[in-house]
Amino acid sequence: MSVRVTGLCVRHRRTVALDSVDLELGAGVHGLLGPNGAGKTSLIRVLATVGRPSAGRVELLGRNSDSPRERSGIRGRLGYLPQEFGFYPAFTVREFVAYVAWLKEVPADRVPAAVERALRRVGLADRADAKMRTLSGGMIRRVGIAQAVVNDPSLLLLDEPTAGLDPEQRVEFRELLRELGTSATVVVSTHLVEDVAAACTEVTLLDEGRIAYRGTPAALTRLGETSDGPGDHPIERGYTAALRAHRARGVTDARETV
Amino acid sequence: MSRQWHTSEAQAARYAAGSLPEPDAWSLERHLESCADCASRVSAAVRATAAGAVLADVRAAVLASAVREVPVSRFARLLWAAGPAVRGAWSAALLVVAGAALLLGQFRGAPEARTLLLALAPVVPVAGVALSYGPHADPLHELAASTPGGGLRLALTRTAGVLAVSLPVLTLTGLLLPASGAPAAAAWLLPGLALTLATLALAPLTGFRTASAVTACGWLCAVLAPSPDEIGARLARCLDGAPAQSAWGAAVALSALLLAARRTAYDRTH
Repeated sequence: MSVRVTGLCVRHRRTVALDSVDLELGAGVHGLLGPNGAGKTSLIRVLATVGRPSAGRVELLGRNSDSPRERSGIRGRLGYLPQEFGFYPAFTVREFVAYVAWLKEVPADRVPAAVERALRRVGLADRADAKMRTLSGGMIRRVGIAQAVVNDPSLLLLDEPTAGLDPEQRVEFRELLRELGTSATVVVSTHLVEDVAAACTEVTLLDEGRIAYRGTPAALTRLGETSDGPGDHPIERGYTAALRAHRARGVTDARETV
Repeated sequence: MSRQWHTSEAQAARYAAGSLPEPDAWSLERHLESCADCASRVSAAVRATAAGAVLADVRAAVLASAVREVPVSRFARLLWAAGPAVRGAWSAALLVVAGAALLLGQFRGAPEARTLLLALAPVVPVAGVALSYGPHADPLHELAASTPGGGLRLALTRTAGVLAVSLPVLTLTGLLLPASGAPAAAAWLLPGLALTLATLALAPLTGFRTASAVTACGWLCAVLAPSPDEIGARLARCLDGAPAQSAWGAAVALSALLLAARRTAYDRTH
């Protein structure tokens, strides 16, 4: 298991973003679904060793992310695309990805080849010498994916990677996800249920800081076929059905404790 | 448009082996021009034959030579690592301070200009550090924080960039203003270094903006307040002579030790 999380809590001042989450993830593509404010970004930030847990244990790639020494070993094998992806507009695409490779301590002699390969994987090899400020939103997103994979990460965390991609690019991106998922653990948070259906091997549904559902996309689709929740596609109906079932359980639990 | 047929695995294998009858091969090739699925099936079949290894070698060689043509220069990497402050408004502010001191020297006399320059100089690298690192200064901070090199290593690289620019510029400006009573042009170097290192040591606790505000205001208050007309005398007490300078040297060493002791705090963002 490359991700092993037990009893994870994250608080931002007074609000609770994650509430005693237990999660184990192995190789494959894991979709992280949930409404806005469900805690998807908080979870990804903790897995990226950027967010600090208020309680709980987070083990990544077999190391404890709480210890500074082990954390630095984890970070060399991470790829992370934050939701709000900042960049230096005056850099060329190649310079930018090479800079991130430098931050990730990729050996200097391997950097040019690693950058070239990462850019080819996202289909931006022909724009390598364009300035970042000249790129469209979708291309910037793809540069974001390229910098995340430049060190061939064992754990890849992508927060809303398909935002701003056009349908064709999204199809290509899912192809890349499937390829990456064969060797690495990929965690993708998304609003788009169809991305999950097409590219993920497993789905985790978050709601109000708790895990509402875990299963395969096929199981979520089956759930949608047998329920009459709203949605245009079986997996969308499965998504709303799972969410409602979780909330109904929460209400009964609350009644029992009262 | 619906297609009548697609290439089967067996057909692809026979095509790759060269055993498919000529007319079938032609129509297959015609079909491949417009069908990506079949094209990838056939190319997989070809890669599986003896030609595959040769093709892979050729591909690797082409890629390697293409990559060699566009190396990322060491100098460029140093420049990016130097950070936002050195590339941005801070460098302009540094030149304004130096230029203003030279102008003041022309109109009000060199000793007064040098006194003012020495009073302000230690604050300049502190401001540069505040504008170089941390979530408020660096658009890439969230990403950098998830990398092994994004903590203290990056902060120190950027501080070195800031110092490499500000130390020579401000000291040379001081040298251009004749002394006549004011402390030596290089007298601010140790205080500047001490304040910068103290800022770095304090920053994981308070954030870079607060840390630099504390150290910079502390220095300015000590030198400028309470009576601004005695700056010259106070500055001379702070900077002139071996005891004052060795006290600053000790402050540098202490800040460096503190920073070394707190280095793991740079692993975590605020």
